[in-house]
Amino acid sequence: MAGIDAAFPARPAAARGRFSWLWTLIVPSMLLLVVFFLVPYLNMVRMSFLLKPADGPYLPQFTLNNYAKAVLDPFHWRVLFRTFWMAGLTTVLTLIFGYPLAYHLTAASGRRKRWLLMLIIAPLLMSVVVRGFAWLILLGRVGLVNQVAHWLTGRELVLIGTPTAVMIGLVHVFIPFMALSIAGALSNISPDVIQAARSLSASPWRTFWRIVWPLSLPGVQAGGLLVFILAVSSYVIPILLGNSNVLVMPMLIVQTLLDAFNWPLGSALSMVFFGLTAATVAVFLRMMGRAMGWTRA
Amino acid sequence: MRRRGVLLSVVVTLIYLFLLVPIVIVVLAALNAGNYLAFPPQGISLRWFIKAAETGPFLRSFVFSLKLAGWVTALSTVLGTMAALYIVRHSRRFRTVLRLAIVAPLQFPAILTGIALLIFFFATGLGTRGMRALFIGHTLLALPYVFLTVSAVLVGFDRSLEEAAQSLGAGPLTTFRRVTFPLIKGGVISGALFAFITSFDQFPISLLLVSVGNTTLPIQLFDYLRFSFDPAAAAVSTVSVLMSVAIVLLVDRLVGLQAVSWSGQG
Repeated sequence: MAGIDAAFPARPAAARGRFSWLWTLIVPSMLLLVVFFLVPYLNMVRMSFLLKPADGPYLPQFTLNNYAKAVLDPFHWRVLFRTFWMAGLTTVLTLIFGYPLAYHLTAASGRRKRWLLMLIIAPLLMSVVVRGFAWLILLGRVGLVNQVAHWLTGRELVLIGTPTAVMIGLVHVFIPFMALSIAGALSNISPDVIQAARSLSASPWRTFWRIVWPLSLPGVQAGGLLVFILAVSSYVIPILLGNSNVLVMPMLIVQTLLDAFNWPLGSALSMVFFGLTAATVAVFLRMMGRAMGWTRA
Repeated sequence: MRRRGVLLSVVVTLIYLFLLVPIVIVVLAALNAGNYLAFPPQGISLRWFIKAAETGPFLRSFVFSLKLAGWVTALSTVLGTMAALYIVRHSRRFRTVLRLAIVAPLQFPAILTGIALLIFFFATGLGTRGMRALFIGHTLLALPYVFLTVSAVLVGFDRSLEEAAQSLGAGPLTTFRRVTFPLIKGGVISGALFAFITSFDQFPISLLLVSVGNTTLPIQLFDYLRFSFDPAAAAVSTVSVLMSVAIVLLVDRLVGLQAVSWSGQG
């Protein structure tokens, strides 16, 4: 054995010298990110402080006017409020529906688990437009839901164009994200821990709330973060299912940019929207951090 | 105990139905022989697929989306694999920062990234005509998926195989070609498939960066749905449904869905 060790000396010293060019592997990605991600965002920040003349896109002149317009208009706050409560409710509902799915998936094994996983991931890869369209068919005037409602109550429901339809669409789109995040955390829990709790005669209910739930909180946090950020910035579902009646912030920003052609105001609205999203996320992370701290203590 | 198991099964079945029934309805609507999107369908036919294929804008945007997704897949697969190799294997101090940087485009609202890119492309005079702007925007979002998938495969990689190759005199490139790549091939192909579908289905970035004559299929479908509502749209949607099902089956074959779906969050 000693001979082999001598013949194959410790790798790092030799390898480091030979592989010193390896850092070039990361350069193209970083270049792409700096030039086409970081710089455009910084440029948008700059744009939000520029002057919008009546007859052109923008003038290189510093002003706070766009922010004044963005923040002082109560209409913007109504839209912001609607956007955030819908995203928040989506996060809570996907947690309620996604958790049982994740729990059931983690408990399964073999072929069954593979199939279940496919059923969760396949919808995730479908275009949001397609999923919005599916609900447009289902919730429409002659759709399946309305046929059942008509048969039960004799009345016709108006669903398309209401916040309810938008919520249904959002929850449908985001359940898989939440379920997969939670399943990731659940699969990390050692069966021994649960065995131990059960052998100490804890009831299944108690085992769940005292052991499984706290240990799955990192997954709940990751899923909540993902779903909230995606839901707050969703555009297709609110337009298709809300029929332009349910105005949310991304729609307002896109209108300002493309229809009103006001880049400085659109950028300022984006920054306000971005700032509030980041603040909400920060509060959420703090809350989750505290929840996880408690259970650890 | 038994009762609780049954209750969970019932609840879970209902949630799966909620997830999958709308998708099945779209496929059924596309196969509908009738003139309207009514339920139940009136007989089965492929007439709406033919109608969709004969609709110029659908066909043009389908071809455009395929081409665009092809280019995006090529670039993001190469860059993402390189980045994963470096970050998982060789980075020390900056590992976390680099990881966060690569996945950053997934953490930012895509619609804002689209807006930032739109303003940027006009401000620099590059403009959004042709495929260029879309190509860059889509690559930003496809790259992290390749990176995450290849990273997942690399984490379980046995380094001693490479060391064996090198101690037998193979250079770094030969080692990569003959040892490393064959071992991570499944992960790279899976990453490429995810990159492809990310680009093919991309909406928010495309919404802002499409130009006249260069429209992607999801945008074309979206515009169509705002003015008409017939089974041709369902036929187009079915293409997207079939594509995602095919990709799920392929990735499961190549590396196992579990490997890629749960590491993605970490």
